[in-house]
Order: sequence, then structure tokens, then C-alpha cells
Amino acid sequence: MTTIPSNLRRVLRREPRVRPSTEPVAAPPERVEAPPVEIAPNDPLVAYFSGATGAVDIGALQLDSPALEGLREAGIKLVVPLVSQGELIGLLNLGPRRSEQEYSADDRKLLNDLAGHAAPAVRVAQLVREQEAEVRQRERIEQELRVAQLIQQQFLPEELPDLAGWQFAAFYGPAREVGGDFYDFIKLPEGQIGIVVGDVTDKGVPAALVMATTHSVLRAEAPRLVAPSEVLTRVNNLLVDEMPAHMFVTCLYAVLNPETGQLRYANAGHNVPYVSTEGGVTELRATGMPLGLLPEMEYEEKEATLAPGDTVLLHSDGLAEAHNTSREMFGFPRVAALTGEASDGEVLIDRLLKELQDFVGPELEQEDDITLVTLGRRAAGGGPAAPEAPGPAGAERQLASFEVASEPGNERLAIDQVAEAVDGLGLDGPRLERLKTAVGEATMNAIEHGNGNRPELPVGVSVVADDTDVKVRITDQGGERALPEVETPDLEAKLAGLQTPRGWGLFLIQNMVDALETAVDEQHHTIELVMHLKEAPDARS
Amino acid sequence: MTEGSLITDVRELSSRASVIDFKGDVTASSEKALADAYTRASGKFTRTIVLNFSGLEYMNSGGIGMLVTLLVRANRQRQRLVAFGLNEHYRQIFELTRLDEAIGIFDTEAEAFAEADAP
Repeated sequence: MTTIPSNLRRVLRREPRVRPSTEPVAAPPERVEAPPVEIAPNDPLVAYFSGATGAVDIGALQLDSPALEGLREAGIKLVVPLVSQGELIGLLNLGPRRSEQEYSADDRKLLNDLAGHAAPAVRVAQLVREQEAEVRQRERIEQELRVAQLIQQQFLPEELPDLAGWQFAAFYGPAREVGGDFYDFIKLPEGQIGIVVGDVTDKGVPAALVMATTHSVLRAEAPRLVAPSEVLTRVNNLLVDEMPAHMFVTCLYAVLNPETGQLRYANAGHNVPYVSTEGGVTELRATGMPLGLLPEMEYEEKEATLAPGDTVLLHSDGLAEAHNTSREMFGFPRVAALTGEASDGEVLIDRLLKELQDFVGPELEQEDDITLVTLGRRAAGGGPAAPEAPGPAGAERQLASFEVASEPGNERLAIDQVAEAVDGLGLDGPRLERLKTAVGEATMNAIEHGNGNRPELPVGVSVVADDTDVKVRITDQGGERALPEVETPDLEAKLAGLQTPRGWGLFLIQNMVDALETAVDEQHHTIELVMHLKEAPDARS
Repeated sequence: MTEGSLITDVRELSSRASVIDFKGDVTASSEKALADAYTRASGKFTRTIVLNFSGLEYMNSGGIGMLVTLLVRANRQRQRLVAFGLNEHYRQIFELTRLDEAIGIFDTEAEAFAEADAP
């Protein structure tokens, strides 16, 4: 159906009556703009004009059309449709001739010629205007997306909990139109840890803002109340008053006691977590309404005890509710089944993402944020060494052990020998390069800061590997020197001359390897660089 | 031994742009070599200096610090730095350190030179 752009609905007509000849001749004729005539897209006049071959005499037209009446009332006598490529894009409306005579055949020909030239030009102008509006709209949306992403990323944890005997893993993959997924780990009294996975309805900036509020409220209330049901009740009551209409938050909140393996949890309408156990996959079910809908809600609290070897998967909708090109859903049963097949959390996340990728195919854009959090209790006697005890452990094999003198530049010796030692472990090129850079930086630190560039003090380097990781331990004589907190260097401040241009070493080390540990005794300071033998997904926290 | 060594070569592309070719290691001990090369590359009207990392063998945090020093100098002289020839690993380090936001990174010499010649 043709729609007449509003700017072309205006009717320009000549003065309908010739003024009496007694009026001064010098006065210019006044042009009067007639009131706009609205033409509904379904008015029969539209179809008539679309098919017309030239100027149309309004007076002679027989049509049951409100728009026709409107044109007549506005004093229009002749209408010349502007048609471009078969589409009616506007009308040239004329009142009566000033001479009060009818429009002649010459007049009509002139007008038809004019319309034939004007129509394409008007169409081009319309298209340009539409395109400009589209560009502005796209820019606005992109800007909003960037803001939403920024907010979202601000509130994701920067690191995973580091608890002896437990393995945590997390993945957050935002959709292009960022959803409101979030997850968090909250330190609680008595060594307990709170684990949160949530999802705000809606997308973009509104969802990101609600997510930020929920995150803050949870962080404030969880350490005080601890009990999951009480925490969710409190958070719900705080959110209800603040929540925009039609929005709510689903959230699973669990509290882990790492000593006992006890996991208490409550659920505000979020996906049910799965647990891979020796006896198969179980679910952690607890009932409760989403947060922010109704005040004074109560949340069921349940408890499970995780045995060594058990792995819990917390997951948001983006995984199970992803669709393939046939509009089939990835599905909760598939998520549950895959949970039961994985040996640990990291493997599980890798597997879920790979299966999802295979299922959805390469061409489909991700529909919703995907958040996956796993916590696994390590099987007794297995797994990597506890972080506080770098040293010989489990199935570690010693690949090399050597010393370099503390002279600037000797980090190159350490790099070359480590590279030689790990040759054959199957580290891919980029991971090997990253390990080499980390070894170089850690050795430089040991030479310069630990041993004070004193050549007689050696830097010890030991390379070990087990089935999953390679670990390089670099020891200096610096004794109980705490590793400073790793801060992201501020490039702007450096460029402005407010900070030294140097100071990139520790930041590089941390970002090159998968884990970084330190151990000290009275005389020695050891930094342990851990690199997984296989790459984990980039978005891994 | 094993003080890293850096050999630099300076080429003038036009009155507005020069190239510094690096061969070897960019570390803290490259300070003098870098500063000298930069001085040679900076003509009266030089607006852009292209850093050619095709011959880079090793760069560490000290070398990154040296590049930041060059950037400070470039900013002061209202010059800009662009670079090409970085391998994937050092490119990743440029991204990590956000140096890629301050130094325009290009895949090829031709692209870097085209940028350097742009007004």
C-alpha cells in the first residue's frame, strides 16, 4: 500500500478567486497554502492515483473517498500524481486557474512533463532522508550496546575463587544485543563462598542497569545474612520498589562450605543446576519466584553435599534455549546429559560450548547471553597441586632444572632452556610464545628485584609437567618478598608523564599464563607459572 | 653477555614520513639505539614515523617501556607512530597493553606507508 509522505500532503494552491480589477495592480498576488489533506493508505484514491497516467481532474472524479472530499474542500481542482517506478510517492495539487478558465491541454502536458521529471528527484530525496534516519538510528543502537557491554563487564568477577580441593570455572559470552546475565563469587564468613548466577529479563542498557543494582544488593546482603533463602528474600524486597515495569531477575544463589562440601542453595526462578555425581546427574531443585516481581516472597532453601569428583553446573538460558536453523532448541536434557559426561568443570564448559557451536551452526548469531559457572570438588589425591604448596606433587615429571646468573639479559638463557624443555608437550605456538614471555619477565624480576643484579646470586629455574599443565618455577634469593598486587598499567598516565613508562612486567606475566602462584621462605622467593597444555576458550574468566 | 642488541635503519618516505626498521631485540638496553633512530627519523616536517617490526626477534616489558617513551616524545613533537610487521604474539601484547590504541598497527608495509602518506 502506498503511503504519502507528510511533506507531500501539503496542498499548494493558487488563490481560488481572482481579485476584483479595482484592486491595485501593483500588489503581488498572495500565495495561499491550503491546509494539509490527510490521505489514508487504504483510501481508494491512492489506488486510483497510482494507476493514473497523468493529471486528474478532481471535479469529475466519482469515488467514495474521504480524501477526495478533503481535496475538494481544500479547493483543489487538478492533481498530478508523482509516480516513480510504479510507486505513488506524492501529489502535485493545483487550485483553480487564476483566469478562472479550465486547465488547457497544454497546461496538462506541461504539468505531466514536470511530474515526470520531479518524481524521481523527489524519490531520491526521500531515500536519502530515510537512509540518514537509519544511520542515526544504527549509531544510537551501537552506542547503547557499547554502554550496556561496559556496564556488564564492570560487574563480572575478575578472578575465580582459589580454594584448595576445589576447581571453579566460568564462561560468560554476551550476545551482540547484550542481555542481563551475570555471575559472581562472594566471600562469606568462616571461609564459605557465595555463588551467584542470574539473568535479567530484557536486554541492553535497562537490563545492564538492573543487573548492576542486583549485583550490588547481593554483594551487600550476602555476607550479612549468609543463608540463601534469607538473602534472596531480602534482595527481592529491596528490588521490588526499584524494578522497572515488566522486568525481573532470575537468580540462583548457593553457599559452599569448602571444608565439608555442603552446598546450601535457593532459587529465584532460575535454571535448575545440574550435578555430575558418581551415581549419575542430579538436579538442585528449589522453588521461588523471580526477584523484583512481588514483595515478601519466600524462597525454599535446600542443601546438598558434594562428594569428591562431583561437579555442579550453573547455567543461564542462553545455552539450553539456543536454537538451530530448524528452530529446534538445544534443550535442557542435552545440557544435563553433557554434564554427566565431563570429567571436570573446565572440560564441561569446553564441551558444552563445542556442542552448542556444532548444534547452532556458524551462521546464526547468538540469541542471548550465555553464562556457565562450574564448581567441582577435586577427587581425592588427584588434580593440580594446591596453590599454597608449589612443589613436587602427584604425577608431575621434572623436565628441566637449571640456574642462571643474575645479570641483565640472562632471561634469554632461561627462555631458551624452558622452550627446549617443554618441546614435545604439545603446547601450540601461541601458548609457547606466551609461556616464553612470562618466563622472561619472571626471570628478569628475579634477577633485578630478587637478587639485586648480583651475578653471584643464581636464579633457579625448574620445569615440571603433569597431564594437564606445565609449570615453571623461578626462584630468587629475595626471601619473604610479597608479590605486589598486579595492577593494569595506566597507559594514559604514562603517556602524560605522570607515571614511569616502565612497570609492565608483572601485568604481562599474569596475562600470559593461566595461573600464577608464589611461595616464599626465609631465603627464597618462588614464582610458579602455570600453563594449561590445551587452550581454553578466550572468553574464559 | 646476552645484552640484547638492536640494529636500526632509518629511511625517509617523504618530507612528512620516515620509517625505522628494527632488527634484533627491543629491551630496556635499546634506549639509546631507539632514541638515536628517532632523532634521525624526525625531520622538520615529519608528521608520521613508521616502525617496522618485521625484523623484531624479542621484546620484553623493558622494550614496551621504551616504546612508551617514544610515544611520549612523539606526542610532544606532535608526531604519530604507526607500525607493521608485528607477529601474532607481539600483536597480542600490543593489544593487551593497549599500545595498539596509541600506535596504529597495520598488517602490511603498504598499508602502513599509505597511512603515513595520508594528510
